[in-house]
Amino acid sequence: MKTNYLFPYQIKKIGWILFIPGIILGFFFLIDQSEPNFLNVTVFSIARQAIFDDNVFFTLTQDNILDEIIGLLLIIGAILIAFSKEKFEDEFISKIRLESLVWAIYLNYAVLILAIIFIYDMTFFWVIVLNMFTLLFFFIFRFNWALIKSKKQIRDEE
Amino acid sequence: MKNSIKVERAKKNITQAQLAELVKVSRQTINAVELGKYNLSTILALKISTVFNQTVNDIFELEDTDLDV
Repeated sequence: MKTNYLFPYQIKKIGWILFIPGIILGFFFLIDQSEPNFLNVTVFSIARQAIFDDNVFFTLTQDNILDEIIGLLLIIGAILIAFSKEKFEDEFISKIRLESLVWAIYLNYAVLILAIIFIYDMTFFWVIVLNMFTLLFFFIFRFNWALIKSKKQIRDEE
Repeated sequence: MKNSIKVERAKKNITQAQLAELVKVSRQTINAVELGKYNLSTILALKISTVFNQTVNDIFELEDTDLDV
């Protein structure tokens, strides 16, 4: 069966190469929140608004790009891991993929709904930040778990 | 949906892995179909029946529960 919108199997490795440094840097950034000076650079900004300031559009500004790098590594890495074909991507695997995607979206928004109700102020900001990534994490976790389960089923029969 | 893939495999003396290779799907797929855990596509049903030189209806059969929708 022809499966659309997926990357070739080999791309998954590149996903892990991006994702692992992303998760390590991200972890330290969450704990420490220190930003190395050499990452202070001038960036082009389409829109930004500092606290108590007006919105400014299409300007150059100074920014530490550590969080940008972490965000891109995590998102691009996780997308490549999640949406590269399996070695044998067939109709059954596609079904597991779809089910896992639905499951991950439910879980991600369930977490967000609970956060909206129970979490406030800056803590809520950090929940939204994490929520950008958790959809992909939940999907990767659930999809691979289902794949392992279906492989285990075969071993149990032998 | 019931199926007689296991019986047909035994008659032809091939494993799930060999059948999977013949119809170009993963082993998990054959396993899930055989256990009735996955309703396969028409194309795959046709391919599997071709391997066993039978029609689709010889190998796959509706169950009463399939009709309660």
